[in-house]
Amino acid sequence: MDGIIGEYREPTDAGPRVTLVFYPGAFPVRWNQCSVAADFFAEYFVEVSESELTEEAERRDFIGSVGYVLNELIENAVKFCAGGTVVIEAGVETGEFVVVVSNQIATTTVDGLRVKFAELLDGDPADLLMQRVEENAANPELTTSGLGFLTMLSDYKARLGWRFDPAPGNPDNALLKTTARLQVKSA
Amino acid sequence: MTDTTTRPTGSETDIKGPGYRVWFDLPARTLHFEGVLRLSTSEYKPIEDLLDGVLQASPTLALRMTELQFLNSSGINMLYKFAIAARKKGETEIKVHGSSTIPWQGKSLPNLKKFLPAIVIALD
Repeated sequence: MDGIIGEYREPTDAGPRVTLVFYPGAFPVRWNQCSVAADFFAEYFVEVSESELTEEAERRDFIGSVGYVLNELIENAVKFCAGGTVVIEAGVETGEFVVVVSNQIATTTVDGLRVKFAELLDGDPADLLMQRVEENAANPELTTSGLGFLTMLSDYKARLGWRFDPAPGNPDNALLKTTARLQVKSA
Repeated sequence: MTDTTTRPTGSETDIKGPGYRVWFDLPARTLHFEGVLRLSTSEYKPIEDLLDGVLQASPTLALRMTELQFLNSSGINMLYKFAIAARKKGETEIKVHGSSTIPWQGKSLPNLKKFLPAIVIALD
């Protein structure tokens, strides 16, 4: 089950770092709370000196991009979490904002996700996005839009990676870690 | 007596939730989006119905986004699907007013043209 897809990189000690842990096993996390958590990271890291964001337009772009990408990642993690915690770890280093979001998923879903993630990175994101929206319009019964990663790749130029590991202490689950990187200043 | 001929039917024209409001200004034929919209796909249904209703009622329509700070991917999906519905309906005149100081709008609104080439996008 172990394996990496895309450009997987976790934040290191090279720059300021923050970790937030949700314990949704004990209480449900509502989507408004995902939004608040995403905005916290965006507004926290815009202030760290390593981000070197002084121009108002740059600060606005950073908050908008980090807020968007993190909100999508946290919504996914909370929505597909099959138990255990949801962990968000983010940092700024060498001009990049780096985040890894971890959550447990059912082992049975791993193969399907592998294929899906590989397809996302294989094609042209703008083309895939158009294709997906046309499919969504033709199938109104679909309950997920599938546009989260595609918009991150296409509109935000995010670099994405995924890693699958066994979930500690639960053979029915796998631990999925999703990373995203954004240029602090070209956001 | 309410004039129902040009009013969207079967949907609310003023939708409010925590931190957001979407409402239709009938005389100005303008849909206003305000606040932060980060809902799940199913939670967008009332707004989707409102968009469909106003599109069916009139071919001329403005969408004002200048007060919409955030929109998540499920909301972007709703917006793009609306553009496809307008393309399929044909002979529509749709204008989107946005703001260049709201980052998601500069990044994601231009894609509307791919789904509806005739749409006019004005970023203040």
